Amino acid sequence: MIQMQNVSKIFRTDVVETHALRDLTLKVEAGEFVAITGHSGSGKTTFLNVAGLLEEFNGGRYTFDGQDVSRLTDNQRSRIRNEKIGFIFQGFNLIPDLNMYHNVEAPLHYRGMPGPERHRRITAALDRVGLSTRTKHIPSQLSGGQQQRAAIARAICGDPRVILADEPTGNLDTTMSSQIMELLLQINATGTTILMVTHNPELAQRAHRQFHIVDGRIDQIHQFRPLQSPQAVASHGL
Amino acid sequence: MLVHDLRLALRSLRRNPILSALMIGAIAVGIAASMIAITLYHARSGHPIPWKSDKLFAVTLDTRDDEPPQSFERHPEYPPFQLTYRDARALYASKIPVHAAMMYMSGQVVTPANKSVKPFGAATRLTTADFFTMFDVPFIYGTGWSRAEDEAPGAVVVLSKFMNQKLFGGANSIGREVVLDGRPYRVVGVLAAWMPRPKYYDLNNSGGIDVPEDIFIPFGWMRTGKLMSHGNTNCVSRRAKIEGFDSLLTQDCVWLQYWVEFRNGADRDRFQVFADNYANAEREHGRFPRKNNNRVVDVQTWLSMYDVIGDDSRMQLVLGFVFLGVCVLNTLGLMLAKFLSAAPISGLRRALGARRIDIIRQHLIEVIVVGLLGGAVGMTLTLGGLAYLKVLLFSSMLAHSDNPDRVALVQSLVHMDIPVMAAAIMLSLLTGVLAGLYPAYRIGRLAPATFLKTQ
Repeated sequence: MIQMQNVSKIFRTDVVETHALRDLTLKVEAGEFVAITGHSGSGKTTFLNVAGLLEEFNGGRYTFDGQDVSRLTDNQRSRIRNEKIGFIFQGFNLIPDLNMYHNVEAPLHYRGMPGPERHRRITAALDRVGLSTRTKHIPSQLSGGQQQRAAIARAICGDPRVILADEPTGNLDTTMSSQIMELLLQINATGTTILMVTHNPELAQRAHRQFHIVDGRIDQIHQFRPLQSPQAVASHGL
Repeated sequence: MLVHDLRLALRSLRRNPILSALMIGAIAVGIAASMIAITLYHARSGHPIPWKSDKLFAVTLDTRDDEPPQSFERHPEYPPFQLTYRDARALYASKIPVHAAMMYMSGQVVTPANKSVKPFGAATRLTTADFFTMFDVPFIYGTGWSRAEDEAPGAVVVLSKFMNQKLFGGANSIGREVVLDGRPYRVVGVLAAWMPRPKYYDLNNSGGIDVPEDIFIPFGWMRTGKLMSHGNTNCVSRRAKIEGFDSLLTQDCVWLQYWVEFRNGADRDRFQVFADNYANAEREHGRFPRKNNNRVVDVQTWLSMYDVIGDDSRMQLVLGFVFLGVCVLNTLGLMLAKFLSAAPISGLRRALGARRIDIIRQHLIEVIVVGLLGGAVGMTLTLGGLAYLKVLLFSSMLAHSDNPDRVALVQSLVHMDIPVMAAAIMLSLLTGVLAGLYPAYRIGRLAPATFLKTQ
């Protein structure tokens, strides 16, 4: 699903050059749940941004869902983000003055999806994360856990191939973190590939694999459990 | 998508009401300043008789002494705007124009037949007969008088609609009697509503901002009644001396307006030669000491020579637009600040799949909404400003006047008509887009990841 070969990312200013990713090479299979760990500044978020086509990279090769993305136009990258990638952020990143329904609706608008189909997907996604009774609430009226669940609903409503989660439990307490992790595992069980940046080793161990990044490179890879075959994943769906 | 963007725009404006109000206010003030200037300019810049653009001409002769221009002369390059009686008479003898009128404004006391109404003063135009035909003056009753009655002079009068209303209650007064300066005149015509704007045929005193006279009588009454001009009388020769009415007829003092109508351009050129030849002949007798500088000019040139649309009007217009430009720059700064403060949300939308063009379009819709709201407030301010100007500039003109035409004239000068309103709407849109184009482009160009962490 995601394949990077010697990908590098350099941030340049007038006085300093920062190598955020150095010849990073990895491969993530479809349906896999991968935890990305590493110290602050190690390049985890940059990796996620590059993987999510939010940032360009300077060198190497990156294939997403079988497509070389290095030469894509901005519009093509936007289309892939919209149709194949779901994002979950540490700070939830909900639009503050939109209610839950309209927050979840946002990515579907850019797909040009007809209203009835949008409505069906939004209600299904909110129902799936347990927020079907909170559609009219704006973010500030919900707890952190509820907001993150709304963000997950937004990420899954477009039926993406991959979800990129940047410390999705970073702002939540233990109980809430556990609930969110369960939700992500359920989503992964339906076949959606998940890459999750986390500082929490316990959560990382619930993934199939863990990539530990140091100074912009994969330093260690841990396999915690095997990836089921696609057929097994399909039959294990919710 | 446009409806979606419109909803986002309104939501965005509500999100930061003070900043939104400042942007709308800045545009509104700029629009109001420029629209007031445009309205005043537009009111003065109209062509009062466009269908006769190539036929109607004002005539001036340069009878001035050959002396350095005096400091008060605004345009020393132009000949005096009026003619002496002697010169007007000479030009009137020409058969080249199809119509010609020499004229001036005076005043008379009207004694109403109804004894309960006190006598009152009224502006009177003494003119030759072609005035009405040449200027396409509309009548509701009757018509003008004949050329024969110019010289006799016939005791006939044409009344304005207002004067007919005042004296006869608006009824058909043809054949009725009107007493002017104690002398009876027979009504031969009553004008329909007629308000050339500007009052191009006589730009004395008012600069064109005035209503036509209420009474018109044959030019010959000038001598019979010894009616002095109520307009400007300027002596253009050091030798000239005014000692009573009769001297006006012989001295080199200008006080008559002179207009002609030609069939075609060739006749105009022939008349120019005729005027120049006349000046040459007079030069033989010691008049017209300067080189020929006689003008036969069309209406628009005439208005321009008279500075009806003067430098002041143009300067006001320029200042109005400069002020609007300053407001656009202010709004641009405010919009940039507003859009950048909401950049994390734009970054998020990009992450969710919005294309650059989606973000730019969304922000452009917002600036258009701001522009239109600014335009709406600006138009309200414009109407208020024009109402204030009406009091400020024209209160003296309206004071002691019971003439509704005068009120209508002032109203028309400070009135936003449909073209000006359409211009205001277009200007609002343009202002909004000008102020928002760069901020919208800038926000659309931001890399999606730039602000995601800070959202």
